[in-house]
Order: sequence, then structure tokens, then C-alpha cells
Amino acid sequence: MITLTDVSYAYPDAEHFALEKVSLHVGRGEILGVVGASGAGKTTLAKIIAGFIPHVDGGELTGTVVVDGADVSELKLSDAVAKVGLVIQNPFNQISGAKYDVRNEIAFGLENLGVPREEMAERVAAAADLLGISHLLDTSPYDLSGGQQQLVAVASMVVLRTPVLVMDEPTSQLDPAGTRMVFDVLSALREAGSTIVVLEHKVELLREHCDRVAVIARETVAAVGEPREILADERMTEWGIGATRFTQAARAAAARGIVPDGAVPVSIDEAAVTFGEEVPA
Amino acid sequence: MASTLYMDRNSPIHRLNPVTKLVILVTLIVIVFAIPFWWVAMGVVVLVIVPAAVVSGCGGRLTRIALTILLPIVVVLFIVQGLTFPGGRTALWEWGPLALTTEGLLFALGIGSRIVCLVLASILFVLTTHPGDLLSALTERGMSPKFSYIISSTLQLIPAFQDRANGILLAQQARGLVVGKGLRGRISAMMPLLAPLVLGMFTDVEERATAMEARGFGSTAKRTALTPVPDTTAQRIVRWAMPVVALAAIILPLATGAL
Repeated sequence: MITLTDVSYAYPDAEHFALEKVSLHVGRGEILGVVGASGAGKTTLAKIIAGFIPHVDGGELTGTVVVDGADVSELKLSDAVAKVGLVIQNPFNQISGAKYDVRNEIAFGLENLGVPREEMAERVAAAADLLGISHLLDTSPYDLSGGQQQLVAVASMVVLRTPVLVMDEPTSQLDPAGTRMVFDVLSALREAGSTIVVLEHKVELLREHCDRVAVIARETVAAVGEPREILADERMTEWGIGATRFTQAARAAAARGIVPDGAVPVSIDEAAVTFGEEVPA
Repeated sequence: MASTLYMDRNSPIHRLNPVTKLVILVTLIVIVFAIPFWWVAMGVVVLVIVPAAVVSGCGGRLTRIALTILLPIVVVLFIVQGLTFPGGRTALWEWGPLALTTEGLLFALGIGSRIVCLVLASILFVLTTHPGDLLSALTERGMSPKFSYIISSTLQLIPAFQDRANGILLAQQARGLVVGKGLRGRISAMMPLLAPLVLGMFTDVEERATAMEARGFGSTAKRTALTPVPDTTAQRIVRWAMPVVALAAIILPLATGAL
């Protein structure tokens, strides 16, 4: 569904590539988690997949970015956004500012695409229900908390029903319940056939919900693999991400001789097993 | 956090189609600037704007905002024109080389009354018109969605700017910035805000542009609306009549030699 081949990109007037020689494939109906330190190039990758680079940001892009059979860098932006939905980091800036309630805010994109009124109403209600914000439909978007705005921002892209959804830290302002809800929505969308790329710092949730995880480090894709394999990788700290808290706890415990040395739990279940093991005499 | 000046009320003024209000606003401005008598502008304020403000339920807020904006302008205008108007002959008060003249005050009254009318009518329009309705109504009438979005989102610029400035000021105060009292103190406090404020706004604009494009804003499809903006035959007649009134306000004074 998404294939990047040898993609390099430099922002206008930049002396260095923001991303260099990136090759990546995401299959139809797959959720790919993307992790990396701040400034590693995750947002740049999101914009490349969504076609905003080079259409909006300009700069020099080489290589090919094929989404759903078409090279998005050669598509018109309006055609690219029909294939890829992009949720940006800051939900406040995703709010259009032109609508007086959440219902109309979620419908904004559908109005732009000329979707008939009856269909709009049905799709808005479905998206709001999916994100658990039906009770907010008559509220002004500017009277919402940051977390609620983030759910509205996600709903306003989900409602477009694009085959590919790219989400740049969609849970940055959410509490644990809201975070889990967004990831549950991602899983539901995958079941419905959507392909999803989610850029996220909460690596433990990626392990739970993603099919694969890609690591962006030193301006390129440093590793791609099964979530467990990536999270257990010794280079997590070197990549600027850091080991999961379960791995860190196991290492600290091993140093004190409490658990066997070399155990790398990356989830609470694995940690329970690790801490339940007897230390060899 | 409110990001527009719009006040949600169910008044007849609020229920008017935004384009009708916009046409009336432009017509009033044309009238008071085409007929340069202070009593015309004040007549529009007393007979049109004040009743409309009362009916809309926005009179209190309109007064507060208008006083903040207009009071310094009007005071300075009267002092400067009253004391320095070149055609001033009839002195009302003299002190050394300074003379407050009737002609200067009348000139200030002419200019000031038009400014008051313009500002009050514009603020009332913003208070009673949601940017979203304005956007939809303008787009329905064939205006470029990008152009109408610029108009409607500009209506939010001032409160958004104010919110951000307050946030930066708080952050600066948390790091030891002391805000002095009086106008001078406030101006001094504003200086450290300017760089982060302006740079932050640039970033916001860029991000918002990306978000808008991601939601199909650049699409060439014919727009639809989830909530249609109400309109009536009477309002359509008013919208056609207003340009005629504006034209008459320009031509009649010249034709009758009133100017």
C-alpha cells in the first residue's frame, strides 16, 4: 500500500538531508508504528507519505513514494489527500477555526470534498461515536480541553475514510483512557481495511497494537521489524528512544541479582514472568 | 478558551444571513463617508447601530470593546485637531501659543463620528456573526473558499493573538519578568513578548495550512454544507436595495450641491 524507495529529502535552504535513503514498505491493512528521538525526522516522514513534501514544504525530494499505486509526489495535493489522511501533532492547529460546534468541525473536510448532506451527517455521527465524543457534538471546538480537541482532530480525519491514515503523535495530549481509545480506534480501522502509520513515543502501546515498528535515527530508517524484536533491541538507547520501563526494571533487578541476567521483558506480562523466575544459584 | 469575538445569542440580528449583515455594514460605511456631516454618522449610530446592539443582546460587550478601542483615538483626535487645525479661527480657550478652536473641534467631530460609526458597526457585525456561517454564506455565493476563509479566520485573529500573548507573558513572568504599572510599564513588558509571539504565529499559520490541506481545503469539488445558512426573500431584497442606497448616498449630495 505504501512503498518508499531510496527517498531522500532536504528542506529548502537546509545544508543537510532531513531524511536520507529511506526505503520502507507498509502492506494494506497494516499498522506501522514509527519511533525515534525528537527531531529524528518522523514528522518529515509523515509529510512525505501524505504528499505535503514537496507540494507544500518545497525542498528537494529524490526517490519514489508510492501510495495505493500512485506516486504521491507527482499527484496534485488534492488527489494525494484523498488517499492519505494526516493528523498533525498540535490539535489546536487542526481545528479549522471556521466552525462553531464539533459536529460541523468534523464535517469540514467532507464539505470541502462535496459530500452530500445526508451522507455527511451519517459519517460524522459514526466518527464521533467511534472516538467516544458524541456528547461533545454541540460544543464549540474552542471550549474543549487539549485532549478532547485531539479526539476531534482524529475524528475529523477518520471521517474522511481515506485508505491510508498517517497520525503524528495522536495521543500527545491524551490521558491514559483517551490514549487507549485512540489505539483501539486504530485497531478497528485496520479491521475495516485501513492502512495506518502512527508516529508515537509511547512504545509500549505500539508493541500492543502495531504489526511492525520502524525506527528513525540518524536521518534514516535504522530498523524495521516485529514490535517485540525492535523494543528488545540493545540499540534502543543508542537510537535515542530508550528501553521500555519493563526492560529497564529487569536490568536494574538483574544488576542486584534479583532476576536472571539478560532478560528483556517489553510488556507487563513478560515482566511478570521475568520477575517470577528464580535466580540461578 | 474562546477564540472568536462571536457571542452565541438567538436574536433576530444573529439570525440574519451573514451576507445581508455584511452588505448593510458596507452600505453604512459608504453612507457616513460619502456624506461628510457629523450628524449623519451619529444618526446612523443612534438610529441603527445602538438599537441593533440592544436587540442582539451584545450591547454590553460592544460598549466595553468600543471604549477600549475608540476612547484613546477620539481623545487624541480632539486634542490634536482642536489645537492644531490649520483653519482654526475661533478660539474657545488659549494658553500661551496654544489655542483650542471651534473649527478644529468641528473637524475632529466630523472625522471622529465616522470612525465611531465604522468601528461600532464592524464590531457589532463580528459579535453577531459566526465566522463559520460567514464562510459558508460567502462560499455558497460563489466566493473562493480560500478568500472567504481568510476573511472568516481573520475575525479570530485578535483573540487568538491575545490568548497567545497572555500565555507568553505568564511564562516570562514565571521566569522573573516584572510588569510595571501604567502605560509605560505595559509597553516595556510587551517588548520581550514580540519575538516569541510573532514566531509562534508563523509556526501556527504553517501548521494550520497543512491541516487545512489535509482536510481537502484545496479540493476543486463543489462545496456542500452540513448546516445550511438561513436566508429569506426579504433579505434578498434588502441585499439588492443596499447598493442602490449606497450609490444614492454618493451621487445625491453631489447632484444637489449639498457638498
